[in-house]
Amino acid sequence: MKALQVSRVTKSYGSDPVLRGVSLVLEPGERAALMGPSGSGKSTLLNCIGGIDRPDEGRIEIAGHSLAGLDEAGLCRLRRETVSTVFQFFHLLPTLSARENVEFPMQLRGIPGAERAVRVQTLIEEVGLSHRAEAMPHELSGGEMQRVAIARALAIRPGLILADEPTGNLDSTTGESILDLLEAISEKYAIAMLLVTHSPLVTRICGRTFEMKDGIISGQDAEA
Amino acid sequence: MSDPVSSLPVGRLLWSRFIWRHWCREPALTLMLVGILALGVAVFLAVRLANKAAVTGFGMFTESVSGESDFLLRPKAGLLDGAILREVRSLSGRAPLGIFPVLESSGVFADEVEGGLLRFVGTDLVALRNAANFVAGGEKGKGISFSQEEGQASPLGVSRVIYAGEAFAKAHAVKAGDEITVIVNDTPAVLTLGGILPSDPNRAEVPENLVLMDLPALQALAGREDRLSRLELRIPPGATAERVRQEMATRFAAFATERGLILETPGERKSSVTQMSSAFRLNLTILSGLALLVGVYLIMQAMEAAVVKRRGEIAILRSLGVTPGQIRRAWLVEGFILGLVGSVVGVVLGRVLAVGMVAAIGKTVNTIYYETTSSAVTLESGELLFSLVFGVVASVLAGLVPARDAAMTPPAQAMRQGTQGGGLTLLRRWPPGLIFLVAGFACAMLPPLRLEGGTVVPLGGYLAAMMLVFAASILIGVLFRPVAALLGAERDAAMRCYAASQLRRPEGRHRLTAAGLAVAIGMSAAMGILVASFETTLTSWIRQLLKADLYVAAAGASSVTNENSLSAATWQRILELPGVAGADKLQRYTISLEGKDVYLGGADYNDDAERFLQLIWIDPPDEKGPRALSGEGRTKAPAWVSESFSRRFGYGKGDTLELPVESAVQEVEITGVYAEYGNEAGTILVGREFTSRWFKDDRTSQMAIYTEAGADAEAVLETISAEFPGVMARTNEKLRTESIRIFHQTFAVTYALEAIAVIIAVAGLGLALAGLLLERRNELATLRALGATRRSIALASMWEGIGLALVGLAGGYVLSFVLGWVLIHVINPQSFGWTLSYRVPWLSFAALALVTLATAALVSWAVGYRNANLRSDREE
Repeated sequence: MKALQVSRVTKSYGSDPVLRGVSLVLEPGERAALMGPSGSGKSTLLNCIGGIDRPDEGRIEIAGHSLAGLDEAGLCRLRRETVSTVFQFFHLLPTLSARENVEFPMQLRGIPGAERAVRVQTLIEEVGLSHRAEAMPHELSGGEMQRVAIARALAIRPGLILADEPTGNLDSTTGESILDLLEAISEKYAIAMLLVTHSPLVTRICGRTFEMKDGIISGQDAEA
Repeated sequence: MSDPVSSLPVGRLLWSRFIWRHWCREPALTLMLVGILALGVAVFLAVRLANKAAVTGFGMFTESVSGESDFLLRPKAGLLDGAILREVRSLSGRAPLGIFPVLESSGVFADEVEGGLLRFVGTDLVALRNAANFVAGGEKGKGISFSQEEGQASPLGVSRVIYAGEAFAKAHAVKAGDEITVIVNDTPAVLTLGGILPSDPNRAEVPENLVLMDLPALQALAGREDRLSRLELRIPPGATAERVRQEMATRFAAFATERGLILETPGERKSSVTQMSSAFRLNLTILSGLALLVGVYLIMQAMEAAVVKRRGEIAILRSLGVTPGQIRRAWLVEGFILGLVGSVVGVVLGRVLAVGMVAAIGKTVNTIYYETTSSAVTLESGELLFSLVFGVVASVLAGLVPARDAAMTPPAQAMRQGTQGGGLTLLRRWPPGLIFLVAGFACAMLPPLRLEGGTVVPLGGYLAAMMLVFAASILIGVLFRPVAALLGAERDAAMRCYAASQLRRPEGRHRLTAAGLAVAIGMSAAMGILVASFETTLTSWIRQLLKADLYVAAAGASSVTNENSLSAATWQRILELPGVAGADKLQRYTISLEGKDVYLGGADYNDDAERFLQLIWIDPPDEKGPRALSGEGRTKAPAWVSESFSRRFGYGKGDTLELPVESAVQEVEITGVYAEYGNEAGTILVGREFTSRWFKDDRTSQMAIYTEAGADAEAVLETISAEFPGVMARTNEKLRTESIRIFHQTFAVTYALEAIAVIIAVAGLGLALAGLLLERRNELATLRALGATRRSIALASMWEGIGLALVGLAGGYVLSFVLGWVLIHVINPQSFGWTLSYRVPWLSFAALALVTLATAALVSWAVGYRNANLRSDREE
């Protein structure tokens, strides 16, 4: 079963086509980079895969389940249980501590308290933030915030992580360490990752790179 | 060609390119801002207009009875002898002077013995008509004019003909020529409506319950032959009018002093006639303050929300070189225009609200105090200007503070993702809160301010209340942590934990919202404590006081201005009825002491060691038996005074009072001070034997009847009612019920306005949450990315709203306990001299809390649900 299968997806805003027949496949545990200039449609594709936006045409399947038939509640369930997102600006919930941010998706999913506590502790240690667990987001550095965001993404044990410019807001040293962390996690838990990036450095942890321009992936034919 | 924009000054550029476009882009938000401003101004204005209308209604008409008299001459107590008319004429010499003798009396419709009071004004209709004709050629419309149907008899010389206004005719469905049956004192009489006094746009509408009669006819009807309430003196307009006025003022002032009379202008009389209950005025003062404060909080919240929403834009403008001063000025203009538009709408709305409120207040005032007219709601230019200025200043000030914060924020910081903040920075600092708290208690210790003329203003109490409100607004911040801990205790509830986390470190806006709610709840609940304390004290006082079996009074006795009495023949006959063992009797008079109206009661207690009226004592007399006021073995008449009299005039046990009575000044010695909650003007009780002698009056205003052992009180009541249809007879229980009903009616308008204040405050909470969610739209997108549904975001919003309401309620109730203490132990004794026992209406508090929480939950859920799908500014 594929971790992600995108088939001929199109999306327009008004009369402006943003995605023009995008297809891609990720195997479980596979990491791929999605590169391209601003406005090429990367984030729109990511939103469609994450169920935040809906494609006009085409098909998206995650772990064999099509997103097409899912209603709003179904899409929410998908985000709670199967797909996690790591953002460029981290987007930690500012009023929750690092520990609480990691715990939050598990609370949403209804995981019992005792299990949550064990998982949070493991994840915080795994991202190397045991000493900063009670810190609030504004007390953390950029690298630390991204580590918390990665721990949060792992909390639901997803099959797929979508990472939108995960190192875009970090200095190069911190960026390198975050990439190492993502690579290690992906291999340890066999999580597929699609990393949207402008940086060629990111490709070092990716087996494949998709180049995107004007709504299509290089080498693929436009639908419209 | 030059770019037209580049030539615009920065201020106009900001206005035309930003402020105006914001309004156009978000008309709903703009309308909401204007609406909130309008509501704040409307409630404030409505309370002021209604208060003013109720206070001035009667005064306006009394001024115009004789067409704006220059002076009034009246006795300090009782009535004037008719012979004074000759003396006044001779005193005025050849000066042009209109003299109008006036007798006032009261009565009721025969079929409405317990209904509203009719106010009879008897005057010389010939002179009045001449004056009306005279002024018709000069200052039109100042006097009364008569309109008669064709074929109607002339009023002059015809007894038992009355004239009334159009409102009277309409209310009672009568027309000229109809006969009506009234009861004056305890005697029925048939009167003919001779004509309708036409309405005049230049004059106050004739009150619905005022009837005009020729003087001799009313003197005969009221049994007050050759007696007068006052003389109205009018100097006709003309070149010499001012000189004559000054000369007459000197001449009549000397005359009044010599005779122990009062000479005053209608304006002075008006202020003494319109002595509305202090309790009622206090009530309205607090309500107007409540409306003002809640309005200011709401305006601040709304303006602050608009500022915070545009912080990013302000930062961009700053980065482009716009100075903080220019941004502040632009905001000032926006606040000014919004304030102006909102205030204009508010004034219109307030006028409409006031008419409704006057209907409610007027009913109370008519029943208990005096007559008024609901058409007296007029929008004077002063009130209009005051309300407009209030709305605009509040709007500008409310917008200026957050605008200053935004304008002073470095652009880089304001443009950073997720920048939040807002709310008064003052609310984050607790030391000013403590200072206000200490200052509040210090002000509460201040003595009352005594103005010229004897008016007592509990200034320290009002200042204390204001300081405590400010203190609560600031110190309320300490409640966020415990409330957040309470909400977040259930760790399995994700959205509740998230909501709790928002309250754990509250933003300025959270604090402002909770403070607004706390002020509304605090002031409403403090009023609740005052009313409950009043009710408890009054109920126990009534229980103590009403121990007789039956109560009999002349018709119209439920009004304090009633002048009806039972004749000697009537009360003596009642005492002889089978089943009647005895009675306490009281005849009441209004006298003027040190320039202020007070009541003098002649009391005559049932001659039974056990069964007679026993008062609650503040400073008990040495002898309390039924004969304690008889004066046996004393040189001066003994007197008991009410607590409010004692506080108002500063007299206590052992002091001697000089009472002005009709014939002379009488000295009485105060032997005790008792609690009385029936009036706050103050009462002096002496033995009835003294008042009978002093006023040559053997009537009685009311009787408390004790029935014989085994007698059926209801049967005795029926006998009295059958034999004397003109008297009001009630059983003990009915009188108690009636007293409590009147009490609740007095405060009816309070409950309605309190409800409005709390609803507005909860609406403010919804508005604040909408603003918070708008600021957090990136956070909401994150929540959605983490799998939160629209409903779960609504749930989080609901818990946050409940948390805010809990903080507001807890803070509000703590504030209410302290404000209640100030009202009951500082303002109340200083302004109307009553000792009240402090009582908290727990059940009402619980109900208010539940309603507030439920409404807050509903509003916040709806706001959350509506805003859950806001697009994040990072989404493409």
